[in-house]
Amino acid sequence: MSLDELSTDPTFSLAIDTGGTFTDVSLVDRSTGQEWKAKVPSTPDDPSRGFVNGVRSVLELANVTPERVSHVLHGTTVATNAILEMRGAECALLTTRGFKHVLEIGRHDIPRQANMFSWVKPQRPIPPQRIFEITERMSFDGQEITPLSEEDIREAALRIRAKGIRSVAVCYLHSYANAAHERRTREILLEEDASFQISLSSEVLPTYREFERSMTTALNAYVMPLVSDYVGRLEEGLRAERIKDARLLLVKSNGGVTGAATIRNEPVQTALSGPAAGVIGARYTGDLSGEQKLITLDIGGTSADICLIDGAEPAITTEGSVGTWPVHVPMIAIHTIGAGGGSIAYSASGGLAVGPASAGAVPGPACYGRGGIEATVTDAHLVLGHLPEHLLRGAMTLDKDAAMRAVERLAQKLGTGLYETARGIIDVANNNMIGAIRVVSVEKGYDPKEFSLLPFGGAGPLHGGFIARELGMKSIIVGQGCGVLSSKGLLIADLRSDFSRTLLLRSPYDDLSQLSVLFSELQVQAMAWLKTEGISPDQAELRWAAAFRYENQGYELDVPWEGAANRESLMAAIKRFHDQHRQLYSFDQKDAPVELAGLRVSAVGRLKKPDFKTVQPDAGDARTGQQKVYHAGGWIDCPIYDRSLLATDTIIPGPAIIEQMDATTFVLAGQICIVEESGNLIIREQR
Amino acid sequence: MNISVSKATSLQPASVDPITLEIIRGALRSAQLEMGSLLERTAMSPVIREKQDYFTGIVDRDLNLLIGTRMPSGGRVVPPVLKQFPISEMRPGDIFLYNDCYATDGAVSHSPDMVFVNPVFIDGKVEGFVFAWAHFLDIGGSHPSSTTPDTENIFQEGIIIPVVRLCENGVINDDILRIFIRNSRFTEIVRGDTRSMIAAVQLGEKRLREVLGRYGTETAHKAFSALISHTEQTVTERMHAAFPPGQYKFADVVDDDGKGSGPLAIRMTMESDGESLVLDATASDDQTDGPINFLMSSVIPSMVFGLFMTADKPDLLPNEGLLQCIDDLKLRPGSLLKPKFPAPLGQRATVSRRVHTTCYGLVGVADPDAGHASSSAYSLGKISGLREGSEKPYLKTMGFGVGQGARPYADGIDAVYYIAQRNFPIEFSEMNFPVRIRRYGIHRDSGGPGRWRGGCGIVREIELLGDDASLMLRLTNCVHPPFGINGGMSGRAGRFTMNPGTPQEEMLPMLAEGVPMRCGDILRVETPGGGGVGHPFDRPVELVLRDVLGEFISVESALEDYGVVVDLDNDEVDLAATKAIRRDRRWSTKLVHRNGYYDEDAWYEASYNLKDAHHA
Repeated sequence: MSLDELSTDPTFSLAIDTGGTFTDVSLVDRSTGQEWKAKVPSTPDDPSRGFVNGVRSVLELANVTPERVSHVLHGTTVATNAILEMRGAECALLTTRGFKHVLEIGRHDIPRQANMFSWVKPQRPIPPQRIFEITERMSFDGQEITPLSEEDIREAALRIRAKGIRSVAVCYLHSYANAAHERRTREILLEEDASFQISLSSEVLPTYREFERSMTTALNAYVMPLVSDYVGRLEEGLRAERIKDARLLLVKSNGGVTGAATIRNEPVQTALSGPAAGVIGARYTGDLSGEQKLITLDIGGTSADICLIDGAEPAITTEGSVGTWPVHVPMIAIHTIGAGGGSIAYSASGGLAVGPASAGAVPGPACYGRGGIEATVTDAHLVLGHLPEHLLRGAMTLDKDAAMRAVERLAQKLGTGLYETARGIIDVANNNMIGAIRVVSVEKGYDPKEFSLLPFGGAGPLHGGFIARELGMKSIIVGQGCGVLSSKGLLIADLRSDFSRTLLLRSPYDDLSQLSVLFSELQVQAMAWLKTEGISPDQAELRWAAAFRYENQGYELDVPWEGAANRESLMAAIKRFHDQHRQLYSFDQKDAPVELAGLRVSAVGRLKKPDFKTVQPDAGDARTGQQKVYHAGGWIDCPIYDRSLLATDTIIPGPAIIEQMDATTFVLAGQICIVEESGNLIIREQR
Repeated sequence: MNISVSKATSLQPASVDPITLEIIRGALRSAQLEMGSLLERTAMSPVIREKQDYFTGIVDRDLNLLIGTRMPSGGRVVPPVLKQFPISEMRPGDIFLYNDCYATDGAVSHSPDMVFVNPVFIDGKVEGFVFAWAHFLDIGGSHPSSTTPDTENIFQEGIIIPVVRLCENGVINDDILRIFIRNSRFTEIVRGDTRSMIAAVQLGEKRLREVLGRYGTETAHKAFSALISHTEQTVTERMHAAFPPGQYKFADVVDDDGKGSGPLAIRMTMESDGESLVLDATASDDQTDGPINFLMSSVIPSMVFGLFMTADKPDLLPNEGLLQCIDDLKLRPGSLLKPKFPAPLGQRATVSRRVHTTCYGLVGVADPDAGHASSSAYSLGKISGLREGSEKPYLKTMGFGVGQGARPYADGIDAVYYIAQRNFPIEFSEMNFPVRIRRYGIHRDSGGPGRWRGGCGIVREIELLGDDASLMLRLTNCVHPPFGINGGMSGRAGRFTMNPGTPQEEMLPMLAEGVPMRCGDILRVETPGGGGVGHPFDRPVELVLRDVLGEFISVESALEDYGVVVDLDNDEVDLAATKAIRRDRRWSTKLVHRNGYYDEDAWYEASYNLKDAHHA
């Protein structure tokens, strides 16, 4: 059965988003758009248990038989956490003779912001004693200089096996230009031991820069056993729940989903799986309000993820990093900072600092009453009246006195007033997030005034009003289910894989033959992938981009490539490059030769989106209470609303608190909130 | 006209709320980050974009540094502009340019460092300055890259530009630009880099204007002085704790100036009376004919100590508070640290790194448990030639990482060129230049043995594939390797070898220009390691084993230097044998180590007898 047929059948999709505390599961009937949700505790020691528990709960809740599920979509943090916490597998690396220490040396620098006296080199995921040098060599244009020594590989294989290592990375110099040696190496390794899991740099990241390619490939090998076992447990768990024919699709860092087989080979592609699903959900929410220019802001307990979307798709970067390490596979350009609801406020060098240390889920903010005594961002919100004391319709009560005590302690250290300090905590946290928004907007030549802010995650809509006001943004869009937007993103994600290659083409571009060869090779590769993923031609789309730079520059800009591999398309792309350089950096250099450095194609398989039903409000008075909020040094009245009771077109002037099960929205005095037919809340400054 | 910088503490005590303070601190940081990332993205010279040899910063209206780079390089770059262009003559949109080392008292200390300064106007008044300077690839002079070991005076080191107004109304003065770039062998690159630098300071100007506009200039300036005094207080307190009343002496040594004047010593005496700190460097050796003279700005030693003292405090900004911890600095005109015009300066990094190590040697003299071991100066090489076919000139610059000195709490860092200065990927080099890199790895056994091991240098082998070319080379601390401290031993030397292991094998000089390299020749570079800290026998056995398995040290060195018996067949340590050796062979130590241990006085005295020792 192809996905095409599946998507038109009256069948169901499951979406499972594993968070730090809870696992959110959605089940949607693709024909009616009806949706059921379940929330179960996450199981960090083995997230597959939470996954399966969630699946079971939601199927029971909806009373749907497992056989009717056609897609299971999942965002995972297994790879992310393994890299961040350095808990990956013992693995080995085969590399070109003479280059054993490429990973150790890195780029031979100390980070610019570090202090040269105190910086300590971090431990690499693969130490040199597990790196084996193999006699072989290619030139930069892919010609064999030294043949591959098969004996070297067999000898390394023996030693690797003796150490009990399963996962092996292979990264040879210039393999992006000619992968023959890496491929042959895999054949030999598998002859020696068919159970080796192998990562080839020419498949994980076929672009130049040996340190970054080696590290990305090493990390792929590092997380492969974990991710592969994990995927295996998910498949097993689904079978045990009698979900047999459904396809398991995982979200990649580029925002697309792909089958479990691809993820097993390229697990490093899931390094930003979780946040990417959120961005896709945010884009969908923006679409409902007809907004194409969005800055998404996902605020959780410990971090905030920020992404700019200009037009239909979020920007993709190929120079991202996870933790300390470069991970140069295509990822949605998400900027993450350590600022969230649980971020701890403290006195530092005479100033008030917030985060990156976080109280996390345990003990959590002081007001959670789980033993936290330090003032957090959430405590400050409670002290200022932005949050009601009783949340989730009374399901959770916050300890306001504990929050006051925590903030008061800090206030005494700083010599400032209680409420002034609480307001300061919010201001500093907001300022950190504003700084991060500037990184993705102003620094890239985009004016936030032209964008709408899309806050989500549990704490997003508490901060959205302040941040959008400070940046003069167009509006704030708060979607339904904005606390669990990642699940939504999973349900509407497309299949997607990116294929890129290095190619150097210099002015005057006399010979375009190499370019057309590369185009056809990439096209064949992309179409083959779509076919294995079961995508029919009418659902398939190829998006091309080319990387350009001025001669002598070291970094490229990706610009869309339209049309065939001919001079006309090249000239049009070069014109776009000049424009983009000017937009980003304030100048262009039309008197300097432009060179093309690489090509990328994104293969997209469109999946039919479920037709989500707009939730109709229950009848009744949406206004459920009122409390005082701190404003401009004094206190003003602030009504509280239940979002599920708000009728379409309702207009609410700020200040107002709008509660829903998964988040709380705070509308500032001077702002006005409108309930759209789509279910989105739109908040603007009152003029 | 005398332009002085008022001492930050003499400013009004700050009364800014902690929230505003934090926000302004963040704004300064992100403005600087943005300027840097623009430069890296757009600059054309690999020296700027990949090696990141650039500096950006912001200065307030009283010329106090608000944020600079955490590297002790360069002096005060704005005051020289005011000497030429009084504030009354500045207009919004002006950008000033210079690289005149001697006329600016070492604001920059060799000519390729081009300085761009942008005044920031609010309501028609100058409220601050934004600057950026970077090492330009080539600005003319006797050899490609302008800085060469071969020069006899600064005129051979490229065009000298006094302070000029490069931009008026934000528009570049094309006449100045054309004169400047015509002097370079690489016109397009220098032109592109000039544009990037202008865009960077303009961006910084915009950001500073936003900060001043958001909070008002008066509040912002109060916050600026508060941020400065936070840094200053920490530095001052810690300096006085590190140097209780008394006199402390230390010396460090440079191998040579490339013309046979070496060895040469930097000698410093720190004197504290509990109130003020006086640093006297007048006993340093005379200036040299070769271009290693370091025209040292008076703020450099303060900045070295300031960064040292705030190493564990990342929230303190690198600002004016770092620059004033030495109350009086004494330098002798005609010495290595205050050469007379027109002495050549191109290779001054050789001496400037010894200034750094002499400073932390002083810390070690005052408290052996606090001292850091020494590191070699960053090493480099350049290949210049003509491309086959097009006959266009090329210049392949190569920075070689060296081992850094160990710290009393951590090993020295392996294979680092300098802060934030990155190597060129091998794949990039081979794609763009007629070379093949045959080997790139850790220089085994180069790190100084110690409880904390000195970082290891690197080994690199470069084969020339194109037409015959010419080499410039620099490697330091090979005769006098980086010292170890508090029981730690010195790092081990490096060398340049042409065609190693062949009948044509030849050792090359450490500091030289114009070394011929023929097609097919292979240059092997081995760089020195950093010094160690603490007795090597105190190094945990498992770390020694890890170093052996990772090829940082040999089995022989594990035994000889660390007293550890490693069984390579089983990847393990013979613990009983190790225990016996460590008990029986443990040697006694003194404060400093380099070719033997020295106590404080003997070490300083030895710096006067090096020549004899050297020639003996």
